[in-house]
Amino acid sequence: MKFRHSNKKAEKIEPQMAPMIDVVFQLLIFFMLTLKIIEPEGDFNINMPIGQSQESASEPLLPDIKVRMVATPDGDLASLELNRRKLGNGPEAFERLNGEILRILGNPNDPANADIEVELDADYNLNYRYTVEAISAVRGRLDPSSGQVVSYVEKIKFAPPRRPEAGG
Amino acid sequence: MRIKKKEAAIADVDMTPMIDIVFQLIAFFMVITNFENTRADERVKLPKDELAKPPEIAREDDLLLNIGYIRNQQGEKQSDALLFYGDGETYPVLEIGPVLEREVKYFKDLGTEADDVTIVIRSDAEIPTGLVQETIKFSQEAGFSKFALKATQKVE
Repeated sequence: MKFRHSNKKAEKIEPQMAPMIDVVFQLLIFFMLTLKIIEPEGDFNINMPIGQSQESASEPLLPDIKVRMVATPDGDLASLELNRRKLGNGPEAFERLNGEILRILGNPNDPANADIEVELDADYNLNYRYTVEAISAVRGRLDPSSGQVVSYVEKIKFAPPRRPEAGG
Repeated sequence: MRIKKKEAAIADVDMTPMIDIVFQLIAFFMVITNFENTRADERVKLPKDELAKPPEIAREDDLLLNIGYIRNQQGEKQSDALLFYGDGETYPVLEIGPVLEREVKYFKDLGTEADDVTIVIRSDAEIPTGLVQETIKFSQEAGFSKFALKATQKVE
């Protein structure tokens, strides 16, 4: 009985490079996509009383806090006022506003503060950027050590819009 | 005559294309969900703020309003303040009443009351505040009552 010798030599199994490279590219693309392309966005809840006659609908026990923002003709912030007190303009004004709100609240964790409402009254042509900055200053503060938000005032409302023809 | 017996060759499944396709699918769905979640208009440059936090619970019904300007390459304004709506439609901010009415009808058809819908306003940082207030006012006239203003989380 003849044995057939297989003439095949022991082949070296070569790893196929093409699929490897494919997979590497896939992984690359996958991790590129996991990086946030779009910056995370957050939001602030806000309300605006309907109509102009909601002034004395319910007398709150707490003093109403009014933030007034006056704009320059080209939409920048001219001055920031809290209950008719001028706080200046520029970034430090918002820091001062933040501090004043804290002083009014006393302890930000006090549950009695949940009903405090702040009214924002901005000029018609004020850039929205400053409005958001003011909302943020009233809303709370970022604790630098823990990175947690210390919440001040949750309820923020807009005053009715000041139409330009009505005078700013 | 001798019959050669063939060994049944076990077909080895090549895993590489499988894995490839799985990755493709994952990447594809990731991109899709990213677009779905934001529905943001890239022409709107949101103001930045460190306190802006996404809501813990995703809102069930919301209507996103993108308000901004059409700008040229240098970032100069080429138009008045516009609402970017749907597929490339634009409306001047003071003429969005009919759009909102239409949205109210649409929500009604879905069985949602306008009162339960949050209007999420994505407004450009350079939009006059008055126009944001006007937008809120138009929305109130249409019957919406909950509002949220969006800002980009400042990355320190």
